[in-house]
Amino acid sequence: MSGRRLVSGWAALAVCVLAALVGLLAPASAQTPGSAPPPPPSAPMAGLAPMPGDAEVPLAWMPPGSAASPVPSEEIFPPQTMPLRFNHKKHVQGLQLTCKVCHAAAYSSEASSDRLLPRPGETCDNCHDVDHADLDHVKAGKEPSAQCGFCHLGAAAGEGGRVARVVIPPPNLRFTHAKHLARNIQCGQCHGQIAELELATRDQLPRMAGCFSCHAMTGPAQGGAKGACTTCHLAQPDGRLQTAFAAGKLVPPPWLRGAAHDPDWIERHKAVAADDSSFCGSCHTSKDCTDCHDGRVRPRKVHPNDWLSMHPQAARQDNPRCSSCHNEQAFCADCHRRMGVARDAPGGTRLSGRRFHPSPEQWTTAPRGPMHHAWEAMRNLNACVGCHSERDCATCHATKGVTGGGGVNPHPAGFRDKCGLALRRNPRPCLVCHASSDSFLRGCR
Amino acid sequence: MPLSPCAAACCRRSGALGALLAAAFVTRAARASEFEVQADTALQGYEVASPWGNVILDRRRFMQTVGLGLYNLQGRYRPGEADYRVVMMMRLDSDFGVNARLPAAQAGGETTYATGAGRGARFIPGLASNPVDLMYGYVEGRNLAHGLFGFRLGRQYVTDMLGWWSFDGGLVRVTTPFFLQLEAYGGLEQRAGMPLSTARFERQGVWRGSHTSFGVGAELPSVTDYPSFLYTEPAPALGFAVESSGPNWIHSRFSYRRVYNTGTALTTQFAEQNGGGYHAISGTRLSQDRLGYGADVNKSDLGAARGGFSYDLYNQLVATAYGGVEVYLGKRATLGADLDYFVPTFDADSIWNWFTHGPITTASGRVALRFTKRLDLSASGGARLWTAEGDASPGAGGLSKFGAGECDQAKKQFAGMGLGFNCQIGQAYIDPSTLRTPFARDPANRATSTTIDALGNVAGRYRFGSGDVSLRGMFETGSRGSREGADLAGEAKLDGGRFSLGSRVSVYGWNDPTRPDRDAVSFGYVLAAGFRPAQLASFRIEWEHDTNRLVGQRYRVIGLVNLLVIK
Repeated sequence: MSGRRLVSGWAALAVCVLAALVGLLAPASAQTPGSAPPPPPSAPMAGLAPMPGDAEVPLAWMPPGSAASPVPSEEIFPPQTMPLRFNHKKHVQGLQLTCKVCHAAAYSSEASSDRLLPRPGETCDNCHDVDHADLDHVKAGKEPSAQCGFCHLGAAAGEGGRVARVVIPPPNLRFTHAKHLARNIQCGQCHGQIAELELATRDQLPRMAGCFSCHAMTGPAQGGAKGACTTCHLAQPDGRLQTAFAAGKLVPPPWLRGAAHDPDWIERHKAVAADDSSFCGSCHTSKDCTDCHDGRVRPRKVHPNDWLSMHPQAARQDNPRCSSCHNEQAFCADCHRRMGVARDAPGGTRLSGRRFHPSPEQWTTAPRGPMHHAWEAMRNLNACVGCHSERDCATCHATKGVTGGGGVNPHPAGFRDKCGLALRRNPRPCLVCHASSDSFLRGCR
Repeated sequence: MPLSPCAAACCRRSGALGALLAAAFVTRAARASEFEVQADTALQGYEVASPWGNVILDRRRFMQTVGLGLYNLQGRYRPGEADYRVVMMMRLDSDFGVNARLPAAQAGGETTYATGAGRGARFIPGLASNPVDLMYGYVEGRNLAHGLFGFRLGRQYVTDMLGWWSFDGGLVRVTTPFFLQLEAYGGLEQRAGMPLSTARFERQGVWRGSHTSFGVGAELPSVTDYPSFLYTEPAPALGFAVESSGPNWIHSRFSYRRVYNTGTALTTQFAEQNGGGYHAISGTRLSQDRLGYGADVNKSDLGAARGGFSYDLYNQLVATAYGGVEVYLGKRATLGADLDYFVPTFDADSIWNWFTHGPITTASGRVALRFTKRLDLSASGGARLWTAEGDASPGAGGLSKFGAGECDQAKKQFAGMGLGFNCQIGQAYIDPSTLRTPFARDPANRATSTTIDALGNVAGRYRFGSGDVSLRGMFETGSRGSREGADLAGEAKLDGGRFSLGSRVSVYGWNDPTRPDRDAVSFGYVLAAGFRPAQLASFRIEWEHDTNRLVGQRYRVIGLVNLLVIK
C-alpha cells in the first residue's frame, strides 16, 4: 500500500516537472525570433509552411543548388521575420495568377534592397475584401478571407488595427531582377518551384551553387553571366569581398574549391593557396598571409604552449614544417647562435663540454649506430640545417687536402648521374668540399 | 649665409621638383577614391634560456608595421573594370633586451665585433638588432583592356606550387578569352643584406647577409672569419606561369622560376694549411630552377580532387607533391584523404642538396562535421613515413643494420693494412685519415628503410553570438619520439565588441630519444583582454604563463595596438 503511494508520488512529481518544463519551453519557443505564432483557430491551416504539415520540400522543387547548400547563407540573406500565411500553390495553380501579378516590382528591380513583396493595397485588395489604402487604418471586410488574421499571424492579429511587422532585411548582395528577367530567366530558375508550395520562406532564396549554373566563368572568357566574385558579392574599396556582416563572417561554402574554412583549415589551406592564390585574394590581403608566414608575433594556433621548449621535437617531426615560414639558416640558426645552440656559436655563449646531441661515440664517429647523426640527417635534413652551417659539415665531409675535410663521402646513391649537370650549373657547392683539381670532381666533369 | 649660384639653382630645381611632386600627389590623391592607413604595434617581453641555462636572453621586442593603400586611382570602383592601386607595408622589428644581462663591457656585443670580452665574443653575422624592411610595395593595374591585362610593379609576393616568394620587379598578366591566363615576371629576389630586405624568401640552406665593414679594421671581422656567411649580391630572377581562367569548377596553374646567384662567394671553409688562404668563386651561377603544377577540380554536389607537384631541375628530382580527394556528404559532412610528399631541397649555392637525404611522406584521412552553423569539428589521422639509407633498428647481436656494412668494410680496410679491427657500434672510433682510401659506405648498405610515425589532429569550434570556444589537439608518435597535447581557447566580446576577453589552456608533452633530458610535460595558460574604443582602433594585452620542468616558469607579456584609417 505504501509502495503504491510512493509510486504515485514519484509519478505526480514527474508530471509536475514535465509540466514545468513544457511551461518553460513553450513561451521560449513562442519568443524565438523569426518564428510565427499559430493562426487563430478559425483560420485555415494551409499556407503556414512551404508544404502541408511542414513536410520536407522535395529537392526538385527547391532552388537549384540546394543539394549542396540545403539552406541559404545567413550572411547573404539575414534571418527574416514573416508572420504571414500565404498559399502560393492556390494562387498560382488554383487561381491561375502569374508571379508578376503580385511581384510586378521585380520586373523593374535593379537592386537587391528593393521591396518586392506585393503591396496589399495594390494586389491583395483586388480579390480580398480589405482596404489597405491607408496602412494605419486598414478596413477589413466581412468575409473570413477579409479578416486580418486570415493572412496575418499572431495572437489577436488585427486587433486595434495592428499586425506583426514583416521584417526582411536587404540581402548583402548585388543583384538585379530586371536584368535576369529581361534575359528570360524566370523566377523558378533561381527560386525553385514555388508554384508547388504554399508559403515561400528564406529556403526559397537562391543558392550560390545554383547561381554557378550560369555564372560559371570569370575573366574575358565569361559571357553575359559574369562569374567574378564581385559580380554579386559586395566589395570593399580595394576590390576584396566584404565578409563581415551582422549575421556572421562570410566564408566559402564547403563545396567551393575545397576551401571550407573548417576548424582545421590552418593545416589544410596550403594546397588551395598553392593552386590558386588569387582565389584567396578575393577576401584576404597580403597582410593576412604575412601575419603568420612572415610574422613577428608567435601565432599560438600554429605554435602552442611553451613552443620554445617544444620546438626541437616539432622540427624533428617536420610538424609543422619549419621551412614553410622560416629561412632556417637565418631565422633559426641566428637565434641558435645567439643562445649558444650551434656549433659555430660565439665563444661567449657556449659552455665547453656541453653537448646538444648524444655523445660523439654515438653521434659522430664511425661505424654508425642507431643514434648516429647520419641517420637523423638522412631522415630529416632540414632539422640539421636549422642549426648548422656548411662549415660544420665540411669539417668531416669535405675531401682531404686543400679543402680541409675528413673525406667522409655524404653523397647519395646515384649521385654520379647528376653531378655533371649540377657542376655545370653551379660549381660552388662542389668546390666547398672538393679542390678544383680533385679526381672526384674530374669524374663529374 | 648667402647660397652660391650653383646651390641656389639647385634649390630652385629642388623646389620646383618638390612642387611638381606635391602637385602630382595632390592631384592623384584627389582622384583616388579611397585610401587606407594601417598601423600595427606589438610589444613582447619574455625570456629565452639556453638548454644549459648559461645564457638567458631578456627579449623585449617592439614591432611596428605601417601600411598604406591607395585604391581606385582611376576613380569609382566598378567590378570587372580597370582599377589602379598603390599598396605598401613597412616594418621595424627591434629587440631591446638581448644584451640586458651582459656586463656593461659586453653590452652591445651582439652587434659589435670588438667587445670587452674579446674579439668577436658575441658577434653573429647578419643578426641586426633593429631591422627595417619593406614587406611589400607596388603599383598595380587590374582588368585593363576589358580584363585582358594586368600588371604589378615593385616589391611583391608570388604564391604558387613553388612556395611563397618575394621579388622586386615587374609582373605582367594576360588573361585570354581562351580559358588561359599567362603571367611573366622578372626582377631581383628579395635577399638578406639588401636594403630593406629579409632572408625570408631565399631558398633554404644559405646564410647570406651584408658584409659591410667586414675587413675594414683590425677590430672588425675579416672577410674570411665566417666562410659560411655568404655575400649578398643582386639575384636576378625570372619566371612565368600558365593558368586556367574561366570555369570556376576547375583550376590549374603551371609555374616556372629561375633565380641566379651573382658575385663572389667563398667556397672552402678552411684556410689552406700552407698559407694559401681561402678559395672563392665569382660570377653568375644558378640559385634555383624549378617548375610546379597544381590543379583542382570541384563538383559542388559530389566532391573535389586536387593535386600538384614541384620539380627541381637543378636537383633533378620531384621536390614536393600532394594529392587529395574530398567527398561531400551533404552540407554536414566531408570525408577526405590526402597525400603529401616532401624532399628538402636547397639553394644551388648550398652543399646540402648533395647530402644523402630521403623524402618525408604523409598519408592521412580526414572527416569534417558541421553539426550546426555554430558547432563544427574536424579530425584527421594517418602516418608519416621517413626514409633513410640503412636500418637503424638493432639487428642481430645488437649490431645495427645501418652500420653493419660499414663495419664489414672497415674490417676489410684494416685487414688490408695488416691491422685487426673489432667493430662495435658506438664504441669504436674510425679516424678516416687512418684508412687507405677515403671512407665510403658499402654500396650494399644503401638499401633504404622506412620508419613510421602515427599522427592525428582534432579541431572543434563552437561559436556563440558574441564569441567562440575552440579545441585543438594533436599527437605524433614514432620510434624517434612523440609529441601530444591540446589547447582549449575561448574568446568573448562584450558590450557589442567594445571589450573582449580571451583565455587559453594548454597541455603538451613530448619526448625525444636522442635527448631524453629534454622530455617534458608542459602546462600553460593565456589570459587576454581587449578594448576597441572605435571601429578603427583596438588595444589588446595578453599574459602567458607556461610551466614545465625544463624552464620552471616562463612568462610572456604581449601588447598589441591596431589602428586603421580608411577614407
